[in-house]
Amino acid sequence: MQHTFMAKNPSVLWFLLGLSLFTVFVTIFSEAVGSTGVSTSFLKTLGKTLCLCLVAIAMDVVWGYCGILSLGHFAFFGIGGYAIGMWLMYERTKNIVVGSLKNNILPPTPEEVEAAIGTQIFGVVGSSEFPLIWAASHSLTLQLLAVVIVPGMLALAFGWLAFRSRVTGVYLSILTQAMTLALSLYLFQNDTGLRGNNGLSGLQNIPGLEAVSQATLSLWFFWASALALGAGYVFFAWMLSGKFGSVIRAIRDNEARIRFLGYNVEHYKLLIFTVTAMIAGIAGALYYPQAGIINPAEIAPIASIYLAVWVAIGGRGRLYGAVIGAVFVSLMSSWFTGGSAPDINLGFYLVKWTDWWLVLLGLTFVGVTLFFPKGVGGLFDLISNYREKHQ
Amino acid sequence: MSTLLEVSGVSVSFDGFKAINNLSIQIGDTELRAIIGPNGAGKTTFMDIVTGKTKPDEGYVIWGEKSSSLLDMSESQIAQAGIGRKFQKPTVFEEQTVRENITMALKNPRRPLDLLFNREAPDTENRVRAVSDDIGLTDALDQLSGALSHGQKQWLEIGMLLAQDPHLLLVDEPAAGMSETEREQTTDILVRAAKTRAVVVVEHDMEFVRRLNCRVTVLNQGSVLAEGSLDHVTKNQDVIDVYLGR
Repeated sequence: MQHTFMAKNPSVLWFLLGLSLFTVFVTIFSEAVGSTGVSTSFLKTLGKTLCLCLVAIAMDVVWGYCGILSLGHFAFFGIGGYAIGMWLMYERTKNIVVGSLKNNILPPTPEEVEAAIGTQIFGVVGSSEFPLIWAASHSLTLQLLAVVIVPGMLALAFGWLAFRSRVTGVYLSILTQAMTLALSLYLFQNDTGLRGNNGLSGLQNIPGLEAVSQATLSLWFFWASALALGAGYVFFAWMLSGKFGSVIRAIRDNEARIRFLGYNVEHYKLLIFTVTAMIAGIAGALYYPQAGIINPAEIAPIASIYLAVWVAIGGRGRLYGAVIGAVFVSLMSSWFTGGSAPDINLGFYLVKWTDWWLVLLGLTFVGVTLFFPKGVGGLFDLISNYREKHQ
Repeated sequence: MSTLLEVSGVSVSFDGFKAINNLSIQIGDTELRAIIGPNGAGKTTFMDIVTGKTKPDEGYVIWGEKSSSLLDMSESQIAQAGIGRKFQKPTVFEEQTVRENITMALKNPRRPLDLLFNREAPDTENRVRAVSDDIGLTDALDQLSGALSHGQKQWLEIGMLLAQDPHLLLVDEPAAGMSETEREQTTDILVRAAKTRAVVVVEHDMEFVRRLNCRVTVLNQGSVLAEGSLDHVTKNQDVIDVYLGR
């Protein structure tokens, strides 16, 4: 079966090959192995980009394959980041606190340690109490489970309510926007227990690995991100091959018709929505330790819209299209907004790309939607059509 | 012949317009039935009610040996209970191959996890072949169904119905847009199908109905105007007035 799966999906092999080559290439030039070709900060950008690719393929599955234009999947990404961030922050603060209390004459009681950690973490929002939401933050296992379970449960509850009432199309998109906006506003509050607009920081420091340099840590995270992306790609490709994929695409193309064939559309949508939310959570949990900080602005509605833009530009309904879109747009974005792009002097007006990049992105999005509905990935069709004609 | 489907005293109105008005129809278990009537007579709404797309305001719809009510079931449950429907406009999944279309329709477990983990139901290939032979599309199995001609799409849709192996087929205007030879082939497929199950055909075209050679129900303004053989109903003065006379 595995053999036929790979044979039927040659793009999976090509993708894995490309990803492996890229990983090896970056590793060779990274600072961790003594080279200077790829700086540690750029390595982090690349690792983060791989995580964005993973959430983009999840978005492609839910939108490009199943036809649900979710504009809230970045919320699940953010939740994954928060879930791992809580452990990172708690454990690291604990190590620091224990280290500084070590020199006291009387050994500190567990209560004192806990209170000191609380003051360290929540002092910034004027509190020292541990909110209930942090109850599991001492356990890496529990927080890792939370990375998939919390987004999964939220998606399940949200999807159950929305799909059961047969909310579709633009109405569903608006609901998902409302969901991510509500979550972001909720997290902005200081008394939510996740440090309000300060968010969680210092996530690049991994507790227990203080001796490891950031250059090496970044490389490890880069590898982990590549592995997650490869596994996610294979998983989704497997899921969407065969009859299950047929039904998912049929739901996208004509939901009412597939109902009359006896398929319960709501169950399928719910499964897809939940599974992609969980994968988005995993992607977020790998992204934010590389970013170092997460705050509620990360899951503002615009972030989820970006996600849809990447997938549209890359090409809906093909997994590698989502990857192309995420890589292309997010790298372009960091180039343009990072100040490296040369400003254009028009004589009467100076086009600063830091300001004008969003305009360019918007125009690209409109252009692609109108003239190249298949996105960049559509170019591969042109190549294969050309080959067929000349055989 | 026992009753397979019983629609009884059903009424439904949309924004005050009574699309179906105290309609009662019985369909036997191996019966070919044609339903005719002018535009707006309620033919399609009748199918919508039976397949669960529209819920009636009053009346009841009883199905099968167990006499279960279809009104409490969702579209997918009704389809799984054995009622298949072909729409007026051919609606096949155009971006998928003929094979994929038929495979989706084949009578198999339909829950998401069934499809994910039991990838190939036994004997799929042979069953797909049997259906495609029946509708004459075996050569086109690996074509995208969007590339089929209009008539072929109609057949594919009928084939997808047959693949579901339903007890009752509801077929809405199967001959629309077909050439003369295609019509004949369509009649054959339907007559053959009706030997082992009930088939209800909604059709405008009297010639087509005549070839089906079956019992005819004439609908008008949401209720039954006349019922019987085609010759019987075409002699009925009411029918001539509302339908044939125009």
